[in-house]
This record gives sequence, C-alpha cells and structure tokens, in this order.
Amino acid sequence: MPLTEALYYILVAVGRPNHGYGIIQEVSEITNGRVVLGPGTLYGAINSMLSKEWIRLYSEDKTSRKKKEYKITEKGKKIFDEEVKRLKELLNNAGKMGEDL
Amino acid sequence: MKKFRLYLDKDTEQDWLMKMSKEGWAFSKFVLGVYTFVPCEPGQYIYQIDLLDNWVGDKKDFAEFMEDSGIEVVSQWYRWVFLRKKAAEGPFDLYTDTESKIAQYSRVRKFFSIGLLVEIVCFFVELNSAVRTGDFSLWLITFLLGFIVLAFLRMVWKCRWKIEQLQRGR
Repeated sequence: MPLTEALYYILVAVGRPNHGYGIIQEVSEITNGRVVLGPGTLYGAINSMLSKEWIRLYSEDKTSRKKKEYKITEKGKKIFDEEVKRLKELLNNAGKMGEDL
Repeated sequence: MKKFRLYLDKDTEQDWLMKMSKEGWAFSKFVLGVYTFVPCEPGQYIYQIDLLDNWVGDKKDFAEFMEDSGIEVVSQWYRWVFLRKKAAEGPFDLYTDTESKIAQYSRVRKFFSIGLLVEIVCFFVELNSAVRTGDFSLWLITFLLGFIVLAFLRMVWKCRWKIEQLQRGR
C-alpha cells in the first residue's frame, strides 16, 4: 500500500527527533505551505505509527513539562525506503510516455 | 451568558459556536446541554469539536498533544472535546486529509450506532410495560425514547452519507 502524503511527510520530519508542532511546521516549510497537517490528522497518524512501531517516543521529560518527541525506527525507515523506491519507479517511467499528442 | 441547546450533530454545533464567536461571544464551558459564553472580540476564535477513540487513556494524552500544538482545549464532555484557536494565528482544521476525515466520521457513526442499539432496547422494554399497564407516564417515556431512536438513526445515516461523499471525492 502506498503511503498517504501525511504519513510520508511525517516520516520525513521524524528523521531526527521532532515534536508535534515541530512536525507540522517542518512539513509546511519543506512543501512551501502546500501540506499543512491538521493537529487531529497528525495525532491519529502518530498513534497509528507508534502502534505499528514505525516511530518511537524519543523523549518525554515529565519534570520540565517538555514536549514529547518522536523518532523514526528501523522498521519505519525500511517502509519509507520502500516507498521512495516505488516513487522513483513512477518518476523514471514518466519519461517513457509516448509523445503522440 | 448561558444558553441551553441540545445538539447531536457536531458540525451544526460547531457552526453555532463559530456564529457566537463572530457575534463576540466565546464559548468556554459545556455541561449537560448548558453552554457558557464569555465576551470576546468578534471572530476572535475558531472552534472545532472532536470525538475521541476511548475516554480512559486518550483524554490526557490528546489534550497535552493539542496544547503542545498551540490549541486550547476548552471543554471536555465524556468522549467529546471542544477545541479552539485564535483566528489571528491562522486557519484551524483538525483534519486535513480524506483518510483522517473518514476516520473521524467513522468514530462518530460508531458512537451513535451503539447509542442507537441501547435506545432501541430501552424503547421496547418501556413499550412492553406501557402496553401491559396502560400507564400514561410510561407511554410518555416510550414516546420520548422513540424520538431519541429516530434522532440517533438520523445521525448514523448522516455520518454514513458524509463518509460516502468523502470516499467518492478521493
């Protein structure tokens, strides 16, 4: 199954430890504001990826009320690389289109 | 200011809270159909309503996550959550892709489906005793339960329709 755009970009954003709001901002920045994740969409995606072990909780400092940070796991990286392979194939094949038009 | 309203549909409820905000009344608390409003600048807040998956584990986690993302949790009622953001801080949509929108309406549909089943059982229990005794107040309760059953049924259909619309647009 291809990754949804939201899942794909969340995985990109947790390549290094990142917290919820940081993920929203980073995804918005690297897509020039095209993909702005709703906090509900992000919350659901993070929980589903945590349970699938694609990402893990990186830090949770309970004393200083620091924001929860998330990071991609080995498993998540493998899923991501598979998707990149699929996307590259799509792009490569774009050039094979006949130009009869 | 306090207002009493009974809403089943979170979308029309949300629209009403937005209308109140535009008129300078910021919703601040919900208890058993009583909405409390405090004065605000017209259009100061954008409101969103959500239904959580389960109310034991999620509640605190969800609220913390939202507050970390700059969103204020205004009020919580059972599994329902009222959220808001200052309009000056940009647009506020809880769900931004089709998948998560469908997931939200599926949660709402499940919520009302379970409620519908419970109410149908209650309806027939009451109907049975009303027929047996012919007691007026029992008939009244039966009538009321019948009304609730229809209202819940309407919500289940509405959610199903919204999900179908979203799937078609995908």
